[in-house]
Amino acid sequence: MSAKGQSRAFIRREWTADAAQQWTKEDALAAALSLTSYLLIIIGGTLALLLNVVGMVILATGMVTAALTYWIIDPKLRAVSADYETKQKKFLERVEGITRWESRE
Amino acid sequence: MAQFTPLDWFWVIAFLVLMVGCGVLFYRLGQRSQSDFFLAGRGLPWWLPASSVFATHTATDTPMFVTGVIYQHGLRGIWYATLFPAWCAISAIVSTRIYRRSLAFSQAEWQSLRFGGLGSELMRGWMTGWAIFLNMFILGWVGMAMGKVCQLAFGWPTWWGLVIFSSVCAIYVLAAGYWGVIITDFQQGVIAFSSIVIVSVWAIWAAGGPKTITARLHEMNQAWRLDLFHFTGFASGEFPIAWFLTMLVFAILGGVGMATTIDWFAEAQRIQSARTVRDASYGIWAGTALILIRDSLWAVAVLGFFTLYPNIASRSEAEMGWYRMGFEFLPAGMVGFFFATILAIHFSTISSHLNLGALYATRDLYQHYIRPQASEKQLVRMGRLSTLVILIGSFLLGAMMQEITKWLIFALWLMAAGVWLPNILQVVWWRFNAWGYLSAWMANLGMSWLVVWVLPAYGVIPVLPDYLQFWTLLGLGLIVFLPVTLLTKPEDMGHLARFYAMTRPVGWWGPVRREAIRRGLMTEEG
Repeated sequence: MSAKGQSRAFIRREWTADAAQQWTKEDALAAALSLTSYLLIIIGGTLALLLNVVGMVILATGMVTAALTYWIIDPKLRAVSADYETKQKKFLERVEGITRWESRE
Repeated sequence: MAQFTPLDWFWVIAFLVLMVGCGVLFYRLGQRSQSDFFLAGRGLPWWLPASSVFATHTATDTPMFVTGVIYQHGLRGIWYATLFPAWCAISAIVSTRIYRRSLAFSQAEWQSLRFGGLGSELMRGWMTGWAIFLNMFILGWVGMAMGKVCQLAFGWPTWWGLVIFSSVCAIYVLAAGYWGVIITDFQQGVIAFSSIVIVSVWAIWAAGGPKTITARLHEMNQAWRLDLFHFTGFASGEFPIAWFLTMLVFAILGGVGMATTIDWFAEAQRIQSARTVRDASYGIWAGTALILIRDSLWAVAVLGFFTLYPNIASRSEAEMGWYRMGFEFLPAGMVGFFFATILAIHFSTISSHLNLGALYATRDLYQHYIRPQASEKQLVRMGRLSTLVILIGSFLLGAMMQEITKWLIFALWLMAAGVWLPNILQVVWWRFNAWGYLSAWMANLGMSWLVVWVLPAYGVIPVLPDYLQFWTLLGLGLIVFLPVTLLTKPEDMGHLARFYAMTRPVGWWGPVRREAIRRGLMTEEG
């Protein structure tokens, strides 16, 4: 999909390093779906173990929701990680310097 | 008491040899550096922190807690245990990423990165002392839980269970540090999860199976126990909707913050040990998913236990239900495997908190305040010494546990309640400063005592239900820390700009973001 097409897609799946740094609707959606999936899994899992059919449906819905969460957030996490790793060494030096009282700002 | 056959003892001894041996094997890795001893070199793929999250949060007292709430409240009691997973569901996407980017070894070190100047040092020192004590307390608490299990299984005095198994566990923690913790956590997680499945399914079967359990509950007029949403009114009864909503708010918004529950401190170490930001997020997410499955199994097994033993009045006796099912229903030869499982869940928590407490003592107390130029060798040596001191401290605390439990549990829960909002504000609001944070902690120390004990004792206010205590302390804290924050200077803008460029926190950071761009620390787009 072209960059213009990506910018029109409701869920963005291709990220530049800079764009991935920002908090966007994909993060909010992933957080909401993550919580929803967990709640559905605990409700559905418990009822499914009692051989409750409704519980089994809820559990399946929870698993699908979890998969959807992954689908939404993974491209962004990959982009964030890839960019951050290039800077981690420099950041580590700063953190170490603060603990050793070598760099005070 | 459990009757152990030679096969049972084989399982127990094999497990102990495996755990201690595997932990000691990583001695060379653990001693390479402070980063290795406390964070396994920051190079772990997501599934290792994930298994550690599961293993650490499945402690000896965990089945007691879950059994207790399910036995008393039916399936709706599972919401007590769901607070942590709900919080992690949000944290995995939000605060985990921010914290991993900070590279702070600990939540105390975070204070030096997020805040600056004297205020940040006071916060770092306060949090270091608090964390060392907290880990000692958890070790004593979990150790005593093991003591109770050993008393049930073998008739031992409780202190034997406390001392013997924590000491055995400490062997590989002293040797290999966090490398020992993480490798054995993986093994312990696999053993624990498998065994929880086997024992719970066996227990459900022993109670007649799911259909029989359901039918029996109906016959006993206890069918309400099958309803996860059996509330007793909006704000009345033993299970009000207001409590449930409070827990949801606590978990959802809390997942945006840091240290909003005491579980965060152990999570923080797992987050930092992950090799990338992505691995950190999935480590928390996947580890918590395993906890959900665990809790579902336990909940149904405990329902089965209830149908067999419905008239246990004593809470402490009811709490041992899941353990009883394992010891009473499993065949000979499997009982030892069950006990090895108990050791697995015990060791995973003990090892984690030994190493975590030593991390704060070494990095934040020794290195930062006493010997900043310590070599890696000296830091690892201090790590080992701290581990030993914390172990011994946990024995002393554990021995006092019968007397202190009540007020210490209060301190832990209500300390969390009173600083819950500041723990979120430190992540989402640039203007929140170290003085505001410090004032919140100090104010809550006094207010917790007043609201929970002193004022009700003198009839000034009634004894409030826990969810009302939470909102009351939140409001009282706000009255203190908000004016302190606004009446004291903001943190240095240069310091904040560097922090922002590194961690990219969520929320209200406009002025800081503009400053970071102006200083060339980041681009307009990123």
